[in-house]
Amino acid sequence: MDQKTTLLLADDDPAVTDSLVPFLKRAGFHVLTATDGAAALEKARAQHPDLLLLDVLMPRMDGREVLRRLRRAKDWTPTILLTRVGESSERALALEEGADDYLNKPFDPHELLARIHAILRRARPGEKSLSMAWVLACGDLTLDRQARRVKLGEKTVELTPKALGALEYLMTHPDECVSRERLLEVVWGWQYPAGTRAVDTRMAELRRALGDDADNPRFIETVPAEGYRFAGQVQALR
Amino acid sequence: MMKRLLIVLAGLFLGIIGAALASVLLYPEPILVFRMGVGAIIFLLGAFISILAIAVEWGKRLGSRETSKAADERRRSFIRRLDHEVKNPLTGLRAALANLSEAASPQEREHAAVNARRDVSRLTSLLADLRKLSDLEEKPLEHLPVYMPNILEEIVDASLSLPAYKGRIVNLLIANVPPLPLVKGDRDLLGLACYNLVENALKYSGPDKEVEVRAREDGRSVLIEVADGGAGIPSEDLPHLCEELYRGANARGIDGSGLGLALTARIVDLHGGSLNVTSSQQGERQGTVFTVQLPAQRNR
Repeated sequence: MDQKTTLLLADDDPAVTDSLVPFLKRAGFHVLTATDGAAALEKARAQHPDLLLLDVLMPRMDGREVLRRLRRAKDWTPTILLTRVGESSERALALEEGADDYLNKPFDPHELLARIHAILRRARPGEKSLSMAWVLACGDLTLDRQARRVKLGEKTVELTPKALGALEYLMTHPDECVSRERLLEVVWGWQYPAGTRAVDTRMAELRRALGDDADNPRFIETVPAEGYRFAGQVQALR
Repeated sequence: MMKRLLIVLAGLFLGIIGAALASVLLYPEPILVFRMGVGAIIFLLGAFISILAIAVEWGKRLGSRETSKAADERRRSFIRRLDHEVKNPLTGLRAALANLSEAASPQEREHAAVNARRDVSRLTSLLADLRKLSDLEEKPLEHLPVYMPNILEEIVDASLSLPAYKGRIVNLLIANVPPLPLVKGDRDLLGLACYNLVENALKYSGPDKEVEVRAREDGRSVLIEVADGGAGIPSEDLPHLCEELYRGANARGIDGSGLGLALTARIVDLHGGSLNVTSSQQGERQGTVFTVQLPAQRNR
């Protein structure tokens, strides 16, 4: 890498920034900071960081508003919102904000690093990411995120909300191995030791409904001892 | 509600009994005879209604003062317990940090870091459980047919795969003839509810003790019992078990957020079921049985 990747970390709590900044620097990033939403927006516009880490609750302007304004101005800088996204209604809202990923506080800094690397690997500068698309497709499979509807060819596929949420997360993060814990966190909103079995159950449901073969998957691949990965080519239709 | 009704009815009953006594037993002959105009009747009726209304209002206020007092007390004890739960890992964390900055050798430093991580994970899981509890009140529940034995198999499997319970024995007994009816609900939440019971059973009984998970029906409900042969729960602790952050005499010194049973009770409640416990501390019969009752779905 000839030039360091620049991150902008916006959080009003020094308890977070004071410890995260050295951690991220040690991981090889150049780190800018902002302590409120308005300052974050200004810095994002002036200094064009490669990735934004936005806390949601900040003085002057919250993280969601910062992101909405950037996206309205066709700024597609990859962004991780440091908050939780759980409910389906909240998810539709999240889609509108255009964040690439979410991380619930309190998070493990190594998890943050993993998210950052995954997003940077996927990002194509100046282009919208799949997380901002309303309709996704892979072969004859289409997912309408706003209508919460999945179709296989012309046929609508009946899915439980959780199975649909899991499919949505996998499709918007293709080629990334997503752990069961991560799926629990973003789709279920909570974790417990037996929860990983609950994920497996939904994945089995998903495969059954999509007619996908676990041994020779078209869509969802099991990564032994790691989690799941969306194996197909995903396109943004709208 | 009952109280309000009682206050209103008591007055009415006393009046009726008094009138009956006076006119039948004491003064069968009328001592005063008078005629009443329509206006007077309306006035008396109005007065009667307004007295009734005042009585109802009064009863309501009395009742609500009592429930708000109970809610206040619950809130206070919750905060007291929360303070207590947070205090210990924080104290540990402080000590670990002091050790970390004064560590003389890499071993000492590693040891301090391990302790700090343990305390942090305790605080994290406390927070996560608090969040689950508040989520239960806000998130919509799934209402799908669920076959409980599948879930029980999963959670028994999952709990035995945890390093802490390696080699333990959990017997799963499922009534199969006729097949258990389905229940309607949220598969994952029901799994969480039962998981907490199984984990508690493993946690609070010795490593040589077996745990039994039984599922049966009684025609109207599916009954799930989680039984252990542990030391049993003191009877004075039983009524408080499902209170948030309550820790019984036996539970001190054993890891846990103190929210597991509160979560289970709330989930079962949201599914229209009930959670019961029987426990004995006497010799041979010692042990604890938690019973989850869930309404069965009709016409399977």
